Amino acid sequence: MPPRLALAAMGTRFEVVLAGGPDAFLRAAGDAALAEIEQWDRRLSLFRPDSTLAHVNRHADAGPLAVDDELFELLVACRDLHAATAGAFDPTVAPLMRALGLHTHDQRHRPPGGVPPLEAVGFNAVDLDASRRTIRFTRPGMALDLGSIAKGHALDAAADVLRDAGVECAMLQGGTSGVVAIGAPPGLESWRVRLPPPLQGRAGEGLASAQPGPRVPLVARLRDLALSVSAPGGRVVQGPDGPVTHVLDPRTGRPARVASVAAVTAPLARDADAWSTALLVDPGLAARAPATLGWAIGRDGAWTTGGLWIEAPAGVAEVS
Amino acid sequence: MSQIDRRQFMVHAAGAVAAIGLMPDSLPAAVRRPGSAPLPIALIGAGRQGRAMLVELAKIDAVKVVAVCDSDERRLDAGVRRVADAEGFADHRALLDKRKDVAAVLVATPTHQHKDIALDAIGAGRHVYCEAPIAHTVDDCRAIASAARGKRLAVVPGLEGRSNPVYQLAFGFSRSDAVRDIVAIRAQHCQKTSWRVPASDPARDRALNWRLDPDVSIGLVGELGVQAIDVAHWYRGRFPTTVSGSGSVRFHQDGRTVFDTAHADLHFDDGVRLGYFATLASSYESRHELFVGSNASIRLAWSHAWMFKEADAPTQGWEVYANRQQFHNDEGITLIAGATKLAEQGKLKEGVGLPHPSLYYALSDFFRAAIEGAAPAATIEDGMRASAVAILAHQASVAGAAVPIPRDILG
Repeated sequence: MPPRLALAAMGTRFEVVLAGGPDAFLRAAGDAALAEIEQWDRRLSLFRPDSTLAHVNRHADAGPLAVDDELFELLVACRDLHAATAGAFDPTVAPLMRALGLHTHDQRHRPPGGVPPLEAVGFNAVDLDASRRTIRFTRPGMALDLGSIAKGHALDAAADVLRDAGVECAMLQGGTSGVVAIGAPPGLESWRVRLPPPLQGRAGEGLASAQPGPRVPLVARLRDLALSVSAPGGRVVQGPDGPVTHVLDPRTGRPARVASVAAVTAPLARDADAWSTALLVDPGLAARAPATLGWAIGRDGAWTTGGLWIEAPAGVAEVS
Repeated sequence: MSQIDRRQFMVHAAGAVAAIGLMPDSLPAAVRRPGSAPLPIALIGAGRQGRAMLVELAKIDAVKVVAVCDSDERRLDAGVRRVADAEGFADHRALLDKRKDVAAVLVATPTHQHKDIALDAIGAGRHVYCEAPIAHTVDDCRAIASAARGKRLAVVPGLEGRSNPVYQLAFGFSRSDAVRDIVAIRAQHCQKTSWRVPASDPARDRALNWRLDPDVSIGLVGELGVQAIDVAHWYRGRFPTTVSGSGSVRFHQDGRTVFDTAHADLHFDDGVRLGYFATLASSYESRHELFVGSNASIRLAWSHAWMFKEADAPTQGWEVYANRQQFHNDEGITLIAGATKLAEQGKLKEGVGLPHPSLYYALSDFFRAAIEGAAPAATIEDGMRASAVAILAHQASVAGAAVPIPRDILG
């Protein structure tokens, strides 16, 4: 049996499966990869008061705040992804999530009611100074929630640890929604991940009303590639206009109502993570996705794929 | 007294008691270097602990990492990549020779390399923060403490309990009637991990896996236990006289001889014992210390601390404010650093859990000593004693026997 190790972090379960080497070596590599995920959890958690992210959220509105180079590099990636997705990926959505009571673990912030503070949302109001490695919030009430990129970033960092150690065959997954494949399983050309058929209905229309649609599953083939799947799930609260899921369109402050699931493959899991969130909110962005991305969008019970999505089963329409 | 009067009375009384009872209760101000450029410092050892240091150092305006040193080329590359403008060195002597501007060094190398680096740095007139255990032999611990004596330098061990605001707060309680007589101490470090660093190259494997090398490793009890042992020394104001122990390889059957599960019992002369347990097979209840007292027990878990009261213990006024947490059948009162101030602002709940990892407070305390000449929370003598006891506890666990702790190493 190849070593299979797991870790509880980021409110979910991470797992790594390794092959192609002595057991003790693979186990040590897997441990090191999970330790990498754990340290990113400690740094990026929105719910731990001693995380670096909590430190940023407490102080970045008072003036430029110095952060370590690794976090700064991630923040720059967030800025680039925010721009590339026309704002559909936006880590400054935290105050909105908080106002709606969507922060499940955050017992300190009850929904205050009233109008969500949309003016506090917008990554373009985050000032990053590359020469001094500082971050500053230029509008009051801003906060970062890296929930839609942290898992992908941690998976990338963990995959780097495995590659640096010399591992050539492994699969890492977090919360069954983020995957990084290194090489391929022994005797096969690629790792295969099966995505269940999308639900009938669309996000934001209430999960209770969703009906199973035509059974059209999708299989992603991954070799040295990352995959991320975004779907509204988890916490659902009652908003003024009906049920609100944890996927909000940061540009309008309203729940995403377009796709029921979005999957993206990319060389980096963090890009896949951010883009799958963005495509769930705004599937039309697929037209401007970078050439290295593959995507699959599920709605009304069917999948639509494009870009470098590797395997499309028969009967799936290509998007024009 | 009406309900409202009574409540007001309690709150006022609580305020008064809190001001007295929670004296050590504040979060330290950030280290500053007003009017000066940041203090240039160097990181020696760019492994996992060194990287954790870099994250905390970025928050401290008073210092700037200008050099990174590691004898492992790949770790050095990674370290230099993580610090803008830092110069890389493979050898600490070259660093000390070339970078005369470096005023302080942080030593986060394998434990058995600490002594040479610390002695060279002290000899070169640099302030030294040395991770704990400060060395892997009692003689090396003594040599570092001895080299630091009489020097106008901050030479500080990486014992994180003493500078941790929650531990400082709990220390006040442990010495008061709130806890009363401490009858026993229990501490553990449980983590499910191999303790092995993956390296496909055999030469690197030996160097990186020093923790599993019986020639230099002081095992779980020595490497991990040193922190809990120091907290026990501090809280008790006395030292154990003998230590017995045991251990085995229970889970990681990969040819290792360094135990993956180990126990040590440290006996104080007044009958109190610290029972320490560490394993790499389970993560249950992680890392904590428990001081069992006749009025209350205190559980310390690095970013958090709780007090569990006995039913017959007197109620204290400040408990009106207290935040509580349920642990099965027991209710813990959360000990909150800065509680008095937070209570005044009505923000007590926001104070649950420290705002920084304990490493941040330890580093800040060191820089306060280096920059302002302040007395550090943990002295190098504390580091020598805790490390020496941890080394002897490791030896006891390997021997499966009792080992006396000589008075002379405790100073």
